[in-house]
Amino acid sequence: MSSTRNSSTTSNPVVVIRHLTKKFGDFTALDDLNLTLNAGQILGLIGPNGAGKTTAIKVLVGLSRPTSGTATIAGVDCVTESKRIKHLVGYMPDKFGSYDNMRVREYLDFFGAAFQIPKKERIRRIDEVMEMTGVSYMRDRYVDALSHGMAQKVGIARILLHNPEMLILDEPANGLDPQARIEMRELLLSLARMGKTLLVTSHILPELSRICDQVAILTNGKLRAHGTVKEISQQVTQQRTIEVQLTTGEYVSAAAKILTEVLPLGEITESTAEAIVRFRTDRAEEALVQILKKLTDASIPVAQFRELQTDLEEAFMSFARPQKEAEGAPSMTRTEA
Amino acid sequence: MANPIIQRELISVLRQRRTVVVQCVLAVCFVLLIAIRWPTEPRVALSGVRSQEVFRLFAYGLLATVLLLLPVAPATSIVRERTRGTLALLLNTPLASWQIYCGKFLATIGLAGQLLILSLPAAAACYALGGIYPGDILATYVILVLTVFLITSCSLLVSTYSVSSDSAVRWSYGLILTISVLTVLPHYLLLGTGGLTGTIISWMRSLSPISAMMSLHGAADLGSAGLATTENIVLRFSVITSIGLIVTSLWTIRRLDFGLIDAARDTGMIVDDQSLGVRSLRRAFFIIDPKRRSGYIGRFTNPVMVKEFRCRKFGRLHWLLRLVAVCGIISLALTILTTTQTVSWDVASVGGIMVVLQVALIVLITPSLAAGLIATERETGGWVLLQSTPMSVWQVVWGKILSVVLTLGLILLATLPGYMVMVVIDPGQWFQVRRVMICLLMTALFVMLCSAAVGSFFRKTISATTTAYAVVLSVCAAPLLIWLGRGAPFGHGTVEKALLINPIAAGFSVIRVPGFAEYNLVPANWWILGVGSILFLLLLAWQTHRVSRPQ
Repeated sequence: MSSTRNSSTTSNPVVVIRHLTKKFGDFTALDDLNLTLNAGQILGLIGPNGAGKTTAIKVLVGLSRPTSGTATIAGVDCVTESKRIKHLVGYMPDKFGSYDNMRVREYLDFFGAAFQIPKKERIRRIDEVMEMTGVSYMRDRYVDALSHGMAQKVGIARILLHNPEMLILDEPANGLDPQARIEMRELLLSLARMGKTLLVTSHILPELSRICDQVAILTNGKLRAHGTVKEISQQVTQQRTIEVQLTTGEYVSAAAKILTEVLPLGEITESTAEAIVRFRTDRAEEALVQILKKLTDASIPVAQFRELQTDLEEAFMSFARPQKEAEGAPSMTRTEA
Repeated sequence: MANPIIQRELISVLRQRRTVVVQCVLAVCFVLLIAIRWPTEPRVALSGVRSQEVFRLFAYGLLATVLLLLPVAPATSIVRERTRGTLALLLNTPLASWQIYCGKFLATIGLAGQLLILSLPAAAACYALGGIYPGDILATYVILVLTVFLITSCSLLVSTYSVSSDSAVRWSYGLILTISVLTVLPHYLLLGTGGLTGTIISWMRSLSPISAMMSLHGAADLGSAGLATTENIVLRFSVITSIGLIVTSLWTIRRLDFGLIDAARDTGMIVDDQSLGVRSLRRAFFIIDPKRRSGYIGRFTNPVMVKEFRCRKFGRLHWLLRLVAVCGIISLALTILTTTQTVSWDVASVGGIMVVLQVALIVLITPSLAAGLIATERETGGWVLLQSTPMSVWQVVWGKILSVVLTLGLILLATLPGYMVMVVIDPGQWFQVRRVMICLLMTALFVMLCSAAVGSFFRKTISATTTAYAVVLSVCAAPLLIWLGRGAPFGHGTVEKALLINPIAAGFSVIRVPGFAEYNLVPANWWILGVGSILFLLLLAWQTHRVSRPQ
């Protein structure tokens, strides 16, 4: 997917965020954020709830004033030139923003007029964006009667009306069914192919890993990791996840007990139904051999002992976990899956 | 508590700090109401006239409080469950429809009950003053309780038909106004009519709690033009209210099933795609078909204004046309009636009725149009979308205000033919008509800016609309309460001062309506409303700036 888009991706930075800090009283929502995003790229912004994602987005679209630092889009300052920013950016918040008794075409017409697009051009543009997003067939439907998936597509059609350079989408895949998620993914990729720069937040991490050129992980307002999915995964490979598949579920507890003795600080997850025990460790290969030996010595019927590939979800969890623990959430060293 | 709905809707509300504050405020108000009018002279009036005056005022105040405050809770009770999706959960429990209804009904009764209980010490103080029989107090409370029952059952029924909380509040207030005031109008207009029409009109009037309360406490009742009545209005009111309560309760219980949430999404039918026959029929019915494909927004038009017209029911042209047509027909009909029945009606009386109808329209429609200007956008998420467009916040607010101004302007203009005919009949009225038009314009401006400013402080449409209604109705109703006590316990000066802030009274005094003719309210009233409007405009501007600036 990425290879097909590489032609439109340039090293020309569109978004430049430097030392961005936003405080609400004593609470720091964003703490010295630094990010750069090139034209035609898709940046996935992930983080747990309250990490500062929406605050960062609001600063970029001119709805929030940072305490310190700067943010520019295509060289335009997001704080001092917020009117110009509105022409450059298409922003889709997580809430659709529907109006009663208004049809899709009227809805798009309203926002087109609000963006001061001349009537003639607006009529053509509305047809274009509806075609592009696949909502032409629902032009006469009422916006407040649309399904969530349809509404999201109309939302994207809305932000494309004024042909912005950059699109910022807050949780576009939230609440969508699998089919709608696939369609959304295809739509975002096609927009990136058209040369649009996208900043997307999502909690559905596999979605992001499939479409994003870059991922930024935010926790507690701080940027914990930034890079490609591969680069971020490499950052967390010191903590490997090992999966022990047993032949039967009745030995799961016994296996977990042995693992707890060997790895008192490790996180152990057990699933009796699947006959699986998983643990996370930074120990070397030799130590893992010893662990396997201990299990087999205790007559635990091990069918498979393998390392799981670290994905974006794992990476996210490895960054988000310390935050949860800092917030006082119980540190689960042994959990039932 | 057996019924969990009562537990949730009454007990939890009673535990809120806000409820305690409201209770304290009400208690203080009742105490002040009595304390202000408590006799301070060393002499004692053995006839008990003074205490009756105080008690009358207290009863009217209590009735006004019930009429103004109560409809909100039951009106939003069911529709909120539906819009939040909790109605499906409720209907999915083993609770029967009647249990759900009883829970909601009793919860509202409980809230109203605490209001009445809070008023008991003040009623006891009136009794202690002497001259009041326990039966009077009991009858007063019977009327109040029956009014509470009627309002609650009617508002709950309205709630099952409404699609949003603010429309439920609007329709409920409209219904209450109709029951309380408009039912008396035929009696006022056709006073002395005999036969079947006279009987129907007489019974219709008995539906009004105001009529019943006035009948209990005064020699004359509402709309009787000072004549003593021989009919037992209180008894009739009790009978009608009881029947109304049973009918509306059964009706609401019948509607409380899955049918309320079992509605398909609107497919968005467009009449342009229909056959010529269908289009012609609909054209004849609607004149301007609401299902036609609308045009694109013009170059010099404020898009927000167009959006406001398109996304609210009364903004659609076919509704506006209906409203304008109804206003025009009523005002013309009233004026034509003047020419045929000049014996019983003079021009001032008809003018008074027209002012009442116009002010009722302004007071009923304007808060629902203007209160949610900002609150609705903030609630639906539209405010952020509007902020992300290059439109300035002032363009947005101006577009919204313009949509209200145009709607109100159309309604006011629709009643002009009536006044014109009146001037043709009696050219001497031209001066008064001009002054009445200024009064109405000032009223519309004041109510609109007051509603918009008050509503802008809320995040939810329902809170904004309710508060705006409460403020506007208080401004309109409270001085009239004092006017009811004219002569005794309030003197001419006090009543005139109170009426100065009232937009209705100014119109009445200008058109020389009996009871208001002796007060000189304009131009002082215009100045007060004008200054008030400017203050509300500044408040709206400040709040708009506050909610739109980057955080």
